[in-house]
Amino acid sequence: MRKSIIRKAGRKIEIPMSSTADIAFLLILFFMVTTVFRATTLRLKYTLPQAESTERILMRRNVTYIFVDVDSKVYIDDNLIREDVVAARIAPKVWENPDLITILNVDESVNYGTVDVILDQLKEAKAFRITFATERKT
Amino acid sequence: MLLRKKKDEESEIPTASMGDVAFLILIFFLTSTVFTKDKGLKMLLPEKTSDEERVTVVKENIVTIAINPSGEANVKTIGYNEFLSRGDFGRITEIVEERLLERDTLLVVSLRTSKEAPYSSMVEALDQIKIAKVTSEDGRELRANKISLIPTSEE
Repeated sequence: MRKSIIRKAGRKIEIPMSSTADIAFLLILFFMVTTVFRATTLRLKYTLPQAESTERILMRRNVTYIFVDVDSKVYIDDNLIREDVVAARIAPKVWENPDLITILNVDESVNYGTVDVILDQLKEAKAFRITFATERKT
Repeated sequence: MLLRKKKDEESEIPTASMGDVAFLILIFFLTSTVFTKDKGLKMLLPEKTSDEERVTVVKENIVTIAINPSGEANVKTIGYNEFLSRGDFGRITEIVEERLLERDTLLVVSLRTSKEAPYSSMVEALDQIKIAKVTSEDGRELRANKISLIPTSEE
């Protein structure tokens, strides 16, 4: 009875180890790609307004962003700037790429006056193609 | 003669790891693909104009939507002068559609927003203008393409 349970001594059992490296690499890659460092997420507090006719913007290369947070502070390229120097910041970008689309991520509670100043600056910088970023209304 | 390979020795490329490699590449692309998350309302700003270049538009072709500091709207056009609280902005679409049928491509929607008004109600109104869509009698799809954004200030 006992003898039949004991394995034959002549046969060696092995777990295949050759793919462990691949698995490890896979995991490394997965975590490398999915990790988001907190330092890169700006501490911008803004809620976009909702709109039913929200369209997707497909040309990602031609896009630049302007952020306006709850406190009406204006940010371009991660820099806090005064609202009257928007034109100076955007003009070189338009010069490089005339098809530039400026996406305005503005908090819904901001006064329209702030938005108007920015729109005026964009006209000055000849950045005529703009988009008011919105969330799709559900 | 000496260079010829021995016939009984076969050369093979190992293919056991092909699946692993494929999966790796698959996962790399799966995770690195960023889908476009940019979305919003497209607008084309006009050139900066001086006073002499101003174009006059006939009264009949204009729908004026005025937004006051508390975010409520007043729609003014031929035959209409309606006050809309924030909940009934849907009326804007109806009015614009009606005017579109009558005025076709000539229609200009003037969105006059108070500088103190919240941005959200301006976007809401703009959204309603953009939703407006009618089919003309000869089968064309009409939209309100001419929208002008005008700031107003209370003084």
